[in-house]
Parts: sequence; structure tokens; C-alpha cells
Amino acid sequence: MKESSLKSIKDLPSTHVLGPGTPTCAGCGALGAIKIFCDILGEKTVFVNAAGCMTLLTVYPFTPFKGSWIYTAMASAPAGAQGVRDALDLLIRKGRLKPEEDLKVVVLTGDGTAYGMGLSSTSSAIYRGLDFIYICYDNEGYGNTGHQFSAATPHAARTATSKGPEGYQRYKKDLFAIWAAHRPAYVATVAGTEPLDLARKIEKAKDLKGSKLFIAFSPCPTGWYFEPAKTIEVGKLAVKTGVWPLKEYIDGKVAHTKVPLPKGKRPLVEEYLKIQGRFAHLFSPTRNENVLEKIQAGVDAYWESIV
Amino acid sequence: MYRIRFHARGGQGIKTASRILGTAFFLEGYEVQDSPRYGAERRGAPIFAYVRASKKIINERGIINKPDLVIVTDDSLLLLPIAGVLLGVTERTVLLIATDEATELWKKRLNLQGLVLSISTQAAVKGHAGLPLLGAACVGAAAQLVGAISKSALEEAIHDQLQPLGKVIVEESLAAAMTAYDQIEAYAGCTTEREDPSADSYESPNWIDLPFEDAGTSAPYIHAAATTLNVKTGVWRSLRPVIDLQQCNRCALCNSYCPDGVISLDAKGYPQIDYQHCKGCLICLAQCPLHAIDAIPEPGQEGEIS
Repeated sequence: MKESSLKSIKDLPSTHVLGPGTPTCAGCGALGAIKIFCDILGEKTVFVNAAGCMTLLTVYPFTPFKGSWIYTAMASAPAGAQGVRDALDLLIRKGRLKPEEDLKVVVLTGDGTAYGMGLSSTSSAIYRGLDFIYICYDNEGYGNTGHQFSAATPHAARTATSKGPEGYQRYKKDLFAIWAAHRPAYVATVAGTEPLDLARKIEKAKDLKGSKLFIAFSPCPTGWYFEPAKTIEVGKLAVKTGVWPLKEYIDGKVAHTKVPLPKGKRPLVEEYLKIQGRFAHLFSPTRNENVLEKIQAGVDAYWESIV
Repeated sequence: MYRIRFHARGGQGIKTASRILGTAFFLEGYEVQDSPRYGAERRGAPIFAYVRASKKIINERGIINKPDLVIVTDDSLLLLPIAGVLLGVTERTVLLIATDEATELWKKRLNLQGLVLSISTQAAVKGHAGLPLLGAACVGAAAQLVGAISKSALEEAIHDQLQPLGKVIVEESLAAAMTAYDQIEAYAGCTTEREDPSADSYESPNWIDLPFEDAGTSAPYIHAAATTLNVKTGVWRSLRPVIDLQQCNRCALCNSYCPDGVISLDAKGYPQIDYQHCKGCLICLAQCPLHAIDAIPEPGQEGEIS
């Protein structure tokens, strides 16, 4: 694998493919990631968008995309992508589209779709070896409808449907492992708040043949209850504290692209938790030591298993 | 039938406010509709909510074009045509504005003939977060203005709607609503019902009959690229980031981190903000390593976006 031409954040494109004026919330962490995807992938794309926050990007007669965009139901975006890919292949085979005019097929869904009801059609698409890119913007809940919990919601987070004293009781699904178990061409976890790591991964994966899948950590000011200005801080702390591992699966191997400091030296997970309103009940009116310790232990155990 | 329209910015709690007013009407024996307009209800964006209340069955649907009472919790919306605050406002419409400017000034500025009342944002009851509870205050004032809602119904409606948010919020909102209810007592009943138009007087809307076309023609295709450029999300902003180019060292982090991509770099690498589209999230301010970005309150000058 050749070395990336992207050495520093200054090497990222400073003019952007995605247009402004979208209806996403101010400070949207998902939009920050999608902006970089569009910059690196360019204009020759077809976005196949399952219902979610990002379907609001394109509301007739407005679209921020310079390439094409179509809309599907939540469970069927990869099936839609199959149809688009097949149509493009047929047009090229019949000589009605020049090979250099080919488009990249990009599925865009939220975590509600990716971790839950869209998992079956994604599994089938990877199994069939569909040549596409899948972007899951993971804001850890059903953001567009008022932030109900999804299978991506972390333990103890408060959502519109987990308002108990200890928040959401289940644990976030390991979608990276599920996707990687299918042995696709590429899987990565990324974050819009880590633009260089994100851009390098897209650059590395975009021309691989087969299924390329990304889970983009997307801090959500509206659903996670923090000020929009803090989106980057929240994302950076998730990486520094070890909550959100940045990694990739390629050629049958998993590699971490940014490893946090060792235990004892890296900031505690509570540094990340306490700046978000969705975890406020763990700190006030009294500190919930049990739950905080449990979350920290989970993160520590993950990094111990890596080294 | 009472037709009441709320205007606010996303996040000010106006959906809940209309819900409380609707519930209070219901408790007084009215048939009620209350609904926020579903769409881009994002923090800071201009949003709407509607309440209809009548002792008879309500057959009217959809947005309220001819309001009896218009409530505005953010006076900057009055200067934004896109917010549509003055849609269908006549001399019999009561306008209630949360503002610290004189109502006479607003009457003159907007050339209004009807009754204009204000709630002071500075004097309004503040919540535990230190912000004035304008949604609750406006509900209290509205309940008094329609003259059909008792204090006890208002209190019950607030308990009913806010109880899941905890005791503190219920108590604060009650205080804000009741204070406004008392303050506006002199105007009790100023908002009057307007009779439903009879079927005979019904004027059909200006429909345009479209012929049936196949999907290739009739489906909502967008044939141009990046048309969101025409959507001025700059109107969402309550604070405007301003870059001090003297201090800027052209690191371009603001360009990389701005989620909306509204910070461009000029030929020399200095950042420039597109105020037509900047939503005012202030990520640039938080991330600027040299603290070369400041925030100033909007609107800079009347109605100014760019």
C-alpha cells in the first residue's frame, strides 16, 4: 500500500464539493464527516440515502450534492445501490457510458439503519461482493425523530426512549466486527472530528474493488445535549479517552490508526461523558460511581485486548 | 374559533408552548388542534406552531393563514421575511412579542394597525439555566389574552405537559406563565374568536390543475447541482463569528472543521466566512488555536444577513 499523499490537515481540499445551506443542525458532526467524504470522492458519485437525518440534505427542490442522489426506505439502501451499480455496469457494457464516466455508488445511512433494520440488506450486498461505499454516520440514536435509542446507543446514555435513572441499559453493537466478519474489501471506523485520518482512509479505500464500509462517529449537539461549538471537542475526547477506536480492516487484518495513551496516562472516560447532557445523570445530583467504573472498565478492557 | 400562531427559533420550546396552550383550552371544554409545522425544526431555525380551539367541531386543517393572535418569542424573526410572522395579520390580530423594545416602535416599523403587546425578555422569569422562560411566559400571556382559560386550567396544562421534565422545570415554568398571566390582565379577552366561514362563502384556493405525466416528468427531479446555495441558513444564527485577520496565522483549521463548509480561503490563505449560510455553530471560534475569532450578537444591523 503506497504512502498517503495527505501528510497534514493542510493537505485537505480547502474548497468543498458539498454545497452549504443544508437543513442539518448547527454544529452537526455527521455533516462534518460527509463534507470530507465528498471532498475526497469528488463529484462523480451517486448517493443512495436511506431515511434518516441526512435525507433532509436533499429536500426538493434543493440539494447540496453536485453528483446524483436517490432516496430509499431505511432497510433497503444497499439493495438500491445494487440496482444503481448494475445499471451503470450495463450502460458501460453496451457502450452507452464511457468507462471514465463511471460513477461511485455511495450508500449513506444513519446508525438506526446500519446497526439495525438495514443490516440484513448490507450483509447480502457484501456477500454478493457489491462494489460500493457505505457511509454510516453514527450519532448513536434515531436523531431525526427526536433521538430515540438505537442499537448504536452507548450504555447509560439518556435518549428520548431511555429516560431511567441509569439511561440506556443495553450495550452498543460492534458493527465494525460484524461487517469485518463478512470479509469485505475495506472496513473502517472514522470521525469527522479527525479529518486527516478520515481523508486518508477514504483515499486508501475508494478505488478498491468490492464493498468499502465506514462507520463515522458523529457527535450530535441536539441529541447528546451539548453546545454546537463543542462538536470537535466531544469527538476528539472520544478518541483520546479510547471510547471511539479509530481502526481499519483490510486484507484480513485489523489495524488501529490512532492509539490513545496507555491506561493511567490517557484521560478518563468521564472527561468525555461529563461534557454531554445525555450523561448528566451519572454526575448529578450524585455521582454514579458504579456505572462510571463499569464504562471505564469496558474501555480499558478493549485496549488491553488490542496490545 | 380561535386561531393562534406561534413563531420562534428551534430550541426555544415553542412546540411545548403550543401544546400547553392547546391542553389548557381542552381542559376548558374546547375542541383543540395543536401542531408544530414539521420540517427543518433545527436549533436556531425559524419554526412555527399552530393552535385552533373552538366549542364546535373544527373542520379547518393545515397552516393558519388568518390568525387572531400571533406570538413571537424572538423579535429578530420580525425582520426576517422567511419567518412569515406577519402572514395574514390584520387590524384585529393581536401581536404578542417577546422584546425589550417599545411596542410603539414595532408598530411603526412594521406599519401595524392592530394591538401590539410585549413581554420583556429582561424582566421575564428566568430558569435554572439563567435564560428567560419565554415560551412559558408567552403561554401565560396568551391564556389571558383569549379570556377563556382560567389559572387552574393553565396550571393543570403545565403540570400535564412538563411533568416528565422534572419538578424544577414545572415550578419555574408555572412561575413564568402565571407572572405573565397577571401582567397582561388589563388586556384579558382582547383576542376574539372569528366565526368559521360558511360553506357558501368558501373560496377555493388558486389551484393549478396539472395534467397526468409519467414518472420521468412528474417525479421530483432536481436537475441542477448544489441548489442549497439558495437556502440562506444564515438566518438561523443568533451569534456571528468574526475573524480578526490581524491575529490569524492561516492554519486553516476553521476551514477544515466547519461542518457546513462555509469558511473559504482567499488567495493568500486567509479564511472568509460566508454569512449567507453560516448557521452560527461557533465551532470555528472553539477550534481557533490563536483565539482570533470572536462572536457578536445578531442581528448586526436591521435584517442584515450578509
